[in-house]
Amino acid sequence: MDRRDFFKAAGGSILLAASGAYAFQFLTAPSKAWTKIAAQTAGRKWGMLIDLTKCPPDCDACIQACRQENNVAFLGDKRWDVHWIRKVNLKPAIGGRGAEKQAILLCNHCDKPPCAQVCPVQATYKRPDGIVIVDHHRCIGCRYCMIACPYNARFFNFKDCEDWPNKDYPKRSHGVAESCNLCVHRLDKGLLPACVEKCQAIGAGALMVGDINDPESDIYRAIAAGGVRRLKEDLGTEPKVYYIGL
Amino acid sequence: MEINFGRIEGNSLAYRLMMLTFALLTVSGLIATFYIINQGLWVTGMHNRVPWGLQIVMAIYYIGLSAGSLVISGLYGVFGKSEYKPFARIAVYLAALLLIAGLLSILTDQGRMDRVFVQPFFHFNLLSLFSINPILYISYILICIIYLWALFYEKQKFTKVISIIAFAWAFGVHSGTGAIFGFGARVLYESPLLPASFVVAAMASGTALMIILLVTVFKLTKRYLDDELIIWLGRLLAILVIVVLYFLLVENTYRAYVVEMRRAAIYFLFSGAHSLVFWIGLIFAGLVLPLIILFNRTRGKSIKWIILASSLVIIGVLCERYVIVIPGLTHPAELVPGGEITYSLAQEGIAKYSISYLEVLQALGVLGVIGFMFGWGLKYLKLLPSEARAFKLEKNAA
Repeated sequence: MDRRDFFKAAGGSILLAASGAYAFQFLTAPSKAWTKIAAQTAGRKWGMLIDLTKCPPDCDACIQACRQENNVAFLGDKRWDVHWIRKVNLKPAIGGRGAEKQAILLCNHCDKPPCAQVCPVQATYKRPDGIVIVDHHRCIGCRYCMIACPYNARFFNFKDCEDWPNKDYPKRSHGVAESCNLCVHRLDKGLLPACVEKCQAIGAGALMVGDINDPESDIYRAIAAGGVRRLKEDLGTEPKVYYIGL
Repeated sequence: MEINFGRIEGNSLAYRLMMLTFALLTVSGLIATFYIINQGLWVTGMHNRVPWGLQIVMAIYYIGLSAGSLVISGLYGVFGKSEYKPFARIAVYLAALLLIAGLLSILTDQGRMDRVFVQPFFHFNLLSLFSINPILYISYILICIIYLWALFYEKQKFTKVISIIAFAWAFGVHSGTGAIFGFGARVLYESPLLPASFVVAAMASGTALMIILLVTVFKLTKRYLDDELIIWLGRLLAILVIVVLYFLLVENTYRAYVVEMRRAAIYFLFSGAHSLVFWIGLIFAGLVLPLIILFNRTRGKSIKWIILASSLVIIGVLCERYVIVIPGLTHPAELVPGGEITYSLAQEGIAKYSISYLEVLQALGVLGVIGFMFGWGLKYLKLLPSEARAFKLEKNAA
């Protein structure tokens, strides 16, 4: 390689590196809308507390409320049904001779969400206020997030759903993965998520949503009182759904 | 020694039938894909617990098969065995095609294919392996094209340089593909060994494919192919198969030894159809049987037997890709530690996956596309050397 070639190569690589760095900055810079949301929700972190001791048996009010609010598909086939929130019966490790417990499972809105890390198009992301949300106009349907989620909280819209009970909210389209978004459209308007509202309306009060960063909030006091558990804490995903009586 | 490269005539009935078959496969794959786009992915065998199916298995399989080029480039570029250089053109061309096949399989698997060509350019996520890998794949295809250019125009020095680059890059391609699973948070996925074992299995399947293709194409086009070259590749294949076996041994012993993974290991090894795929398809037919053939003193030197062993390895590695993807998904994650789920609205526990004929049609369609392009390449590009000879020992003696 003579000197001229060397300068050509060196100049080329510097140019390439500079344009790469510029593109990187361009690709990763937060948008204006994002900055606005961040300012609005400064310091806030939404969390959920589920008190299973108050959860009435054979009650599916929260599940129905979620379907009504979010137009989530119910087709009657376990393989393709979508459950943003679901109820399970558990055989606990201790107290085996006693009755089975029940638990409510939903997206844990992890503070370090693996689903958001693996999303190739940032369709899944964590809002500044801690809600993990899917932009269903952006999702390409690769289903990597479903593989990455340790809680099986993500569901894919395999079929088009004809039900459209809530006309104020978009119909779910097929070909994208989605999960609970903590009714972000309601929270932003100052309303409670549909499941929480319903649970309080029927007088059970098993579900609670609030700002876990606010030491004055009810949810903070309930969590700080102790006796709460989160699912698979050892994974380090920092879930923001807390359980009492699990 | 001067080597002349040539095209094939492509007028024979066999060639035309082959091209027609590939074209028909492509059409059927296209029809299946349009049907799936129209209906939604529920018409495939996939569901909410097994969201990745045959298309992902085939994608990583095709990508792995491209490692034949890695082996050939490595042999003459890195290890200086220049008697393998005549195969470089066909190997590199095939590698590019197989990478395209992998990308096509992934593309046709997406829920919203229309967005694949738009969204990544606006919302690129550097941390996702699904962003990193396409870059590796596409850049590898570009490297293959530059490599082919260098080969076609006989740029001796540049060929050497680019062969080393392609060799190194291929490691990134295959490791990245293995990492999709190895870095995943599922018990039967998570394994830092997987990228490495993926590379070795890819090299084994790639070598096997090269052996089969070289022998078949040279025979059908009546070109001289030195047995010595194929026997040596067969020996290399045997070594690669041993390394694959070793990685499988380490991985499964680890899972069975560590308490938290033992249940998953038992599930993987001893229950369900995938265990049969693992033991019979992969371990026995895909790895042990080829080893017995290749290490046999007479059969290891017979081209027919080497072809048989290579075919077994190719099927075995397909089984390996299947048991990488599927059991990791059908095995249930422990959602509530210490609690066994007895009833749920959704599917919990062990899930089932059965391949649908639509997915098979899609996979064959992709095969049709690259088969057609391969046949086209043989006819219109100067891919095939007029002959391939092993260097004789006289040179060393002198």
